[in-house]
Amino acid sequence: MNPDTDHDLANPLRTLRAAMEGVNAPRGVEKELMAAFAKRHARTRWYQRVRAVQWAGAGGAVALTAVLAVALTSPVPQPADAPPLVQRDGRGYFIALESLERIEHEPNPRMIETEVPRMELASLGVSVTPENAGDSVLAEMLVSGDGQPLALRLTSTE
Amino acid sequence: MTTTTAPIPDAELLRQLRSGAQAAFQALYRRHQGPLYRFAVLRCGSPDTAADVVQEVFMGVLTDAWRFDPLRGQLQHFLFGVARNLILKHEQARGRTASLPEDEDGEDEAGDDGAGEPLARLLSGELAEDVRRALGQLAPHYRDAVILYEMHDLSYQEIATVCQVDIGTVRSRLSRGRAALAKRLGAHRPQPINA
Repeated sequence: MNPDTDHDLANPLRTLRAAMEGVNAPRGVEKELMAAFAKRHARTRWYQRVRAVQWAGAGGAVALTAVLAVALTSPVPQPADAPPLVQRDGRGYFIALESLERIEHEPNPRMIETEVPRMELASLGVSVTPENAGDSVLAEMLVSGDGQPLALRLTSTE
Repeated sequence: MTTTTAPIPDAELLRQLRSGAQAAFQALYRRHQGPLYRFAVLRCGSPDTAADVVQEVFMGVLTDAWRFDPLRGQLQHFLFGVARNLILKHEQARGRTASLPEDEDGEDEAGDDGAGEPLARLLSGELAEDVRRALGQLAPHYRDAVILYEMHDLSYQEIATVCQVDIGTVRSRLSRGRAALAKRLGAHRPQPINA
């Protein structure tokens, strides 16, 4: 190592190092990272974890029409963070898991069949008895094009 | 009597982060962002690119994309390596290669990238800005070695790991980089007037 080089560089490098000491990434970086963390670890509701037991075929299209008919005729707009909207009609329960506006504007909705634990239905306002609390019921779930649950249709909770 | 608590090790913060503890992620970020940003800003010469690089580095930490192995060294040195690779990708995306010249002695005249003005505002003092500018004119592979050794106190072996070269190459790059830096700084220095 050249001693002259060391001597020439020692002071300039020390000066640069001292000047850089207080230089940090812009605050916006931390803010964006924390937002990304929150989004990644957002608490998921039970219906966002259920899996389709099978893809619905032609029956799905009929059920989809029924779900949308209920959704679009509902007079009350639902905020995104509001609890699920539950309605009971002649065909059973309709449960909106997202706002009706979101459901209405979903460009590629599809219907899947799934199983829902009865205990979860209690939190949605569906009556559950101690005798059948451990069971699951078949349901039709309306999901968005990217698989996000939008609404449930329970034709029978017996 | 005062009591001091030892800082939580990076490996423990990473474990907590994987369990969903935001405070652990924030602690890791605050511990490492400064050195990483300073490395990136001196290495690439652009505060905006450096901020992007730091964000990309920590997004990878968040998503566990980098697969850090605590048995293979310190997290900070590992993150320097990730940042360096991201900077190389940024440079390649701009159509500029950071490849080695054949004689291993090249200097990158365009290394400062014209981004000196916003960066100058980060630094106080004319000398610091002169050194920063001279550093920015070194070839990228010399810049890596000089910044990591002189600004971040990494050892030859640690620099070799970050830059994925052997230790002899680090020694050579550091020596040549420092000589080139001294030469550039000498050129800026006022010459003595002979009466």
